[in-house]
Amino acid sequence: MYGYAGKILDVNLSTGQILKKGISPQLAKQYLGGIGFNARILYDEIPVGIDPLSEENVLVFGVGTLVGSPFPTASRTEASAKSPMTELYGTSNSGAFFGTQLKGAGYDALVIKGRALNPVYLYIEDDKVEIRDAGALWGKDSWETINILKSHHYGAEIALIGPAGENLVRFASIENGYHDGWGRTGLGAVMGSKLLKAIVVRGSKGIRPKDPQALLKTVKEGQDLIKSASSYKVFTEYGTLNASIPYGRFGALSAHNFTKGTLPDWSEKAGRQVIDKYSDRHIACQSCIIACGHWVEIKEGKYKGLKVKDLEITPTVSFAATVGLNTEATIKATELCQKYGVDIVSAGGVIGFAIELFKKGIITREDVGYELDWGDDDAAFNLLEDIIHVKGIGKILAQGTKRAAEYFTGADKSAIHVKGLEIPMIDPRGRWSTWTLGMLTNIRGGDHLRCRNPVENLRYNENKHDYTKERFGFKKPMYDKLDMPEDLKAKIIDLENDIVDIAQMSKWAEDLINLYNAVGVCIRPPVMEKVGPTILAQAYSDFTGIKVSAADLMLAAERIWNLIKLFNLREGEEVKDITFPRRFYEEAVNGKVLDEDKIKNVLKKYYEARGWDADTSRPKSETLARLGLDT
Amino acid sequence: MNKRLIIHAEKCNGCGICELVCALSHSKQWHPSLSCIKITADEERHLYFPTVCAQCIEPLCSTACLMNVIQKDVETGLTVRDELSCIGCRACETTCPFSGCTYDYIDGKVVNCNLCQGDPVCVKYCPNGALEFASIEGAAAFKRHDSARYRLIEIFPEG
Repeated sequence: MYGYAGKILDVNLSTGQILKKGISPQLAKQYLGGIGFNARILYDEIPVGIDPLSEENVLVFGVGTLVGSPFPTASRTEASAKSPMTELYGTSNSGAFFGTQLKGAGYDALVIKGRALNPVYLYIEDDKVEIRDAGALWGKDSWETINILKSHHYGAEIALIGPAGENLVRFASIENGYHDGWGRTGLGAVMGSKLLKAIVVRGSKGIRPKDPQALLKTVKEGQDLIKSASSYKVFTEYGTLNASIPYGRFGALSAHNFTKGTLPDWSEKAGRQVIDKYSDRHIACQSCIIACGHWVEIKEGKYKGLKVKDLEITPTVSFAATVGLNTEATIKATELCQKYGVDIVSAGGVIGFAIELFKKGIITREDVGYELDWGDDDAAFNLLEDIIHVKGIGKILAQGTKRAAEYFTGADKSAIHVKGLEIPMIDPRGRWSTWTLGMLTNIRGGDHLRCRNPVENLRYNENKHDYTKERFGFKKPMYDKLDMPEDLKAKIIDLENDIVDIAQMSKWAEDLINLYNAVGVCIRPPVMEKVGPTILAQAYSDFTGIKVSAADLMLAAERIWNLIKLFNLREGEEVKDITFPRRFYEEAVNGKVLDEDKIKNVLKKYYEARGWDADTSRPKSETLARLGLDT
Repeated sequence: MNKRLIIHAEKCNGCGICELVCALSHSKQWHPSLSCIKITADEERHLYFPTVCAQCIEPLCSTACLMNVIQKDVETGLTVRDELSCIGCRACETTCPFSGCTYDYIDGKVVNCNLCQGDPVCVKYCPNGALEFASIEGAAAFKRHDSARYRLIEIFPEG
């Protein structure tokens, strides 16, 4: 096979059986790779209604199709399983170098089933696949574990869990090397429930491109496209922290567990310029030309000597806004979440939830063992430790805000999640856009990473149109250059009136990001703005030799999204779960609340745009037929 | 050929694009381990250093070669190999002080950078300007300047 490694590695930890299955051209063309392979495998192999922490759950790592090529940002691998947080499709995406090694070893996907009898780690070196004893590693934090494994397996990449995953903290992450990870939806707990501590992989095979010279040209084209993006330069300098000051100004931060909208002096304390104080070096993932990561060092003060990647927007909002910590404590929180192996967003959300309950007297010093307060980093980190080790009140909080709220009367008001997954980043009361509708429609629950208008601007925050439209905010050249079929573009963007139709843009954005997660490129704004299905189709065809058009790729992405929706519906997802926490409708921030009826209205428009039933959100039979999902 | 590669390691962020595109010119496939340019990482400090054949005038690899496979090309001045005679013993690989040559495990032979007939592809695709293709005099002057800079820092720290 060209472009693909050609095999799926299937490991059963209960029986020890190791299978290497071929990839059919049918699977390749219909599901592409990455999240596409994951969705098909999980839909076919996970029985309905199982406990996500039981041995019947299946964990899949799907490497993006373009990984192994120098196509800019082709580094990403999607990990999926049934989620212990939402009990729906759980999934997360990570870059760095793991996918390169897994595919280089000869596998486009790794499927893990069953449960080991004792702690083990999986060792993959090209054709050699072994299940090895991990007794000496169990209990160690992720950095220590990596150091030990790397001394035995030089040159390998490692996916692993920390103590949080071992203790089945429901929002535990799978770490990808020291500093990256598959954070959301509790995949670390799934791995922990299988007693799988780590996956060590070294691949020395290469990938054969069908037309290497053509692909090199496409690579150059892709590099030039990304460099021409309006956000390229600032992204190479400040990475994701570019979003910090705008969201502060919009009053759209998750400040103090979504009670405040913004914090005093946010721009000075947490604006992108703080990066200059702590970092002078950029870090890239495989094949990336942006290098948005920063190597951060704290040289003085309470956390002197701390070195870590990264000062990103997500930990900044999750800890500096939700919990109220200062920047250095936020950096420390990032380190702890990496070492413990826990989702930064859910950790911040759970800690914020606990502090709010403490301030309201719903939980007391007796329950916790110490005082909790906004901005108190010692208390927050003590609480995080208790959660990781499921000690005291940590035992309850380790289940996530939705379940923890059931233990305390009146606590559900403070549990800020959608479908059981804590909401990151933006308070939709501060800013309504394609992105915030996406928090409701995201197949994995309350999340910001799967529905983003590729030409979103952060200069304006105006929405005068009943939640169904947002301001476009750009001039004609941006419209012209957007890689979208012209007839669809005319429907979605009204250039004359400077308007974007949110429902239709959401469908496009979700499918495009899904396509990214299938072929393995990165969703950073410079890429989203410029890399569309046309150049991806070119790269895919040059690499694999399978001729596809831009429309074929978007159809495949839509197919994958619908398959995951079917998985969720099969697991019991209901329309009544697709709503924001009551706080957003009832408690005002900066005088604003969300209008529940208007949101229901725009959701219906979104379902129509998707070809789903407007009342039940179920994909209609003609949609499934069109996508080939009707068998 | 009167140009050589200059490596600006402080600009390398480890993205690996050079390895991928280099491997292509030998094996028509993306085998990063077959690349003539290799990135070594100090993971603790997130520092990266690309290494490649230095095109020594009196190459140690040539002295080590048991089969007399390695010579200096009279016209280009580059270190070249008679690949048909290479037996893949890898003595040169062990001897090279720069880890500059690469074992091609598909063909069972060792290869080294040939500067892509004068248009090195790694230089073209590096997004960070960490690789430069400059005249030999320029490369030598750069290295001289660079080592002088380090000695001066030792002699006059922070002054």
